[in-house]
Amino acid sequence: MTIRLNVIDLPKSDYTGGLTSLCAGCGHNQISNVVINAAWENGIKPHQIAKMSGIGCSSKTPAYFLGKAHGFNTVHGRMPSVSTGARMTNTDLKVLAVSGDGDSASIGIGQFIHAIRRNVNMVYIIENNGVYGLTKGQYSATVEKGSKKKKGLVNETQPIDMCKLAVNLGATFVARSFSGAKKQLTSLLKAALSHDGISIIDVISPCVTFANNDESFRSYNYVKGNETELHVYDYIPHFSPVEQVDIPAGEYEDIEMHDGSILRLETVGKGHDSSNPVAALTAIHEAEIVSKHVTGLLYYDPDRPSLSQSMNLSDTPLCQLSEEDMRPDESSLDEILAHLRG
Amino acid sequence: MEPIVNDFSISIATVNGTGSQSANLILLQTLFDMGVPVSGKNLFPSNISGLPTWYILRVSNRGYQAPGDRVHIQVMMNKDTWEKDLDNCLPGTVIIYNTDIKMPAPEKEGCIIYGAAMTKMARSINPKLARMIANMAYIGVLADLLSLDQAILESAVSKQFNGKEKAISINVQAINMAREWSAENIEKQDPYTIEAAEKDPDAFFTNGNEAIALGSIYGGITMLPWYPITPSTGIAEGVATWLPRLRQDKDGKATCAIIQSEDELAAVGMVVGAGWAGGRAMTCTSGPGISLMSEFIGLAYFAEVPGVIWDVNRTGPSTGLPTRTQQGDLSMLYEASHGDTKFPVLIPGNMEECFEFAWRAFDYAEQLQTIVFGFSDLDLGMNQWSCKDFKYPDQPMNRGKILRTQEELDAVENYGRYRDVDGDGIPYRTLPGSGLAPYLTRGTGRDEDGNYSEDPKVYHKNMQRLKKKINGARTILPQPLQRLEKEREVGIVYYGSMETTIQEIDDQLEATGLMVSQCRVRALPLSPEVEKFIAEHDTTIILEINRDGQLYGIVRKEIPIDLVPKVHSVAYSDGLPPRARIYSDLILETLRGCGYDN
Repeated sequence: MTIRLNVIDLPKSDYTGGLTSLCAGCGHNQISNVVINAAWENGIKPHQIAKMSGIGCSSKTPAYFLGKAHGFNTVHGRMPSVSTGARMTNTDLKVLAVSGDGDSASIGIGQFIHAIRRNVNMVYIIENNGVYGLTKGQYSATVEKGSKKKKGLVNETQPIDMCKLAVNLGATFVARSFSGAKKQLTSLLKAALSHDGISIIDVISPCVTFANNDESFRSYNYVKGNETELHVYDYIPHFSPVEQVDIPAGEYEDIEMHDGSILRLETVGKGHDSSNPVAALTAIHEAEIVSKHVTGLLYYDPDRPSLSQSMNLSDTPLCQLSEEDMRPDESSLDEILAHLRG
Repeated sequence: MEPIVNDFSISIATVNGTGSQSANLILLQTLFDMGVPVSGKNLFPSNISGLPTWYILRVSNRGYQAPGDRVHIQVMMNKDTWEKDLDNCLPGTVIIYNTDIKMPAPEKEGCIIYGAAMTKMARSINPKLARMIANMAYIGVLADLLSLDQAILESAVSKQFNGKEKAISINVQAINMAREWSAENIEKQDPYTIEAAEKDPDAFFTNGNEAIALGSIYGGITMLPWYPITPSTGIAEGVATWLPRLRQDKDGKATCAIIQSEDELAAVGMVVGAGWAGGRAMTCTSGPGISLMSEFIGLAYFAEVPGVIWDVNRTGPSTGLPTRTQQGDLSMLYEASHGDTKFPVLIPGNMEECFEFAWRAFDYAEQLQTIVFGFSDLDLGMNQWSCKDFKYPDQPMNRGKILRTQEELDAVENYGRYRDVDGDGIPYRTLPGSGLAPYLTRGTGRDEDGNYSEDPKVYHKNMQRLKKKINGARTILPQPLQRLEKEREVGIVYYGSMETTIQEIDDQLEATGLMVSQCRVRALPLSPEVEKFIAEHDTTIILEINRDGQLYGIVRKEIPIDLVPKVHSVAYSDGLPPRARIYSDLILETLRGCGYDN
């Protein structure tokens, strides 16, 4: 049997991680598999990735993929700041961050907001199940009004929609997907990995233990029956000639990502203009009114400079600077002292 | 009347936001440039405009830098503190006041009182700016009364206004008008005067924040995430000011990332991320910021990530007195965050050390793979201090045990991210992006290879190793400086900004016949030298600017139990910089309690 290799001649086994300790059937495990596939198929060197996470079920997952990459399981809700520090220090790193709805929509909402404000160069996946799993199923801030978990009362509190928030804040790549929609999520994640700026991917990921009942708006059955897709996606990596890809029968649009890859958006229904933030918000609101989940690339802005671009950092990653670059010479201190002595 | 030359204190009472700080700094710079030993303390309120401010100038032939125990010349420019300022004047005080302030002319028995129409003078020069320029009028009156050098005074004005012609001209005009008016109208009845001395050509004024900022740049800082908080902001602004000139690469691009973060949690989170990725990251804050950062600090301790945090201590707890000083954060820094921790704390006592410890902090942090604190305070950080030199680093950078190549990794026998292969408690580390022995950094329990573990033996062994690592710092960090008396009777252990007052305290004690040895602690964990100092002396006083004797608590915990009865605490804090008499009286009282007859 021949082992399949990717474009940089690595087997998929170079992209896998440890065994998961999450519940059997957890949506998060499906997302981990998508991460493995997307990174392998995109031909990213695994060690070039920095896996970042906060605290929660979702934040455990970096142990389960990309075992050849360094990772940092940080503190609750504060992963974005650690990612910012790491990415500014090593601009060669591809930051792949995993957070959850507890981690990002409550304790960490400030850092979520400011990472978007700065356009930190990172992929930010929210594995969004609407509950706090590790503390046994309390509602999180993203769960829909009227949704009910397996045990307990119906949620009566207004939810925070992370995609709405991200679009309003000017995030440069905003998508929503579903852990059960492997093809769509893989295309979106590949595109996110090709984007130089912040990519927010809010992934509805059912919690099989605490909220997979039919009254839960985030159960497998509910999402499958109430999903509205914006487009059908095809990702064409920069190393594959676009001409060799079959042209879709219907209407489509190609979006060129920063690394030259293409995300092909095939029109579904009345179509969606992902360059228009108002259209993105409209799509979310329209779905919300009828208790549906809209999935796909909601908004994309390739023009806003990323944080490392706007900081005009040295081309050499700061962690690789020589002592000469880091410590000004002695004569410069003499000049300062002369200035201070007046 | 016998003149009193270069040995008195001036208190200037003004209103915040009226430009009085410029006037006061001009006076300070003039005295300094005349070669007169002088120090200045700005006692300012926590607002931008309208609240009372006092500036205390101490001129002292003996080089005393503390505010002194009494005021000799009181300048009254603030209506709101008029009565209080007058009440505080002891007999013999010279009172200089602005007659244009609508308050009863000051009367005080035994005081020498001079009035001048300062606002009217200012108005005659520029009606719109009269409130600001009136402050220059008291400089003019003082210049006349104290015989200040006119050329030096004018050059101090020029320095203060950075050579801006219009500002210089209008302010010099105001000073001269008041000086001439004073010469013609005030008959000097007081003994205070200034005599120029030879100025040390090397000496200059700086403040701790500026010294730390420069030291950090020479220490190779590559990331400065920060959140504004008094009194630390000057460090970040200092770095931002000097960086473009000092730290651009050949393409003119930045070799240090500065981010004003959304809060202190994000600031320290970025420090941790940068340190993990192999950078030299620092943030600066004050006590409230440290409280907020504590969770991350514990993560950095446990995950062994280098980083530097400067705490410029202000008066706590809570918001406290945000523009006043204290040594109230020491024990918090030393054992920051939950669980068993311990951190190196560098404690500079002067400007030279602020610069030196700032660059060294990065070496210690990378060497020890932990957060290293710098401990300054508002008094050191924001007041102007005389400084002679910033010494260029005398050693190459110590980047610690970072494995950057496969060969380096292969050379470490039995490598594990958290395995103590060298016996010093310090493991080797690899960096993200290198592909070398990748591991998941975490705050949860893990074994020597970095894999998740809740095994009790693994946890215990790891915590003992961390303790060993930090204990090893005792002889690496800056050692205490000691001045020993022949008779090892009483010793005083002190630290940080108390350095500015210790000599005056020592002289006051000596005047009672008590000769004391001094030991200035410059880092935590304590050097073995401190224990030796205590063992050698019959009685040791630990002197500090807080309520509870925080260093005293640390010392008690770390010295052998038989030495504990020899150690006593003298701790006092009221928000103001230390005044010698308060501490010398407390020391004498404590010693009387120990049976000393003084």
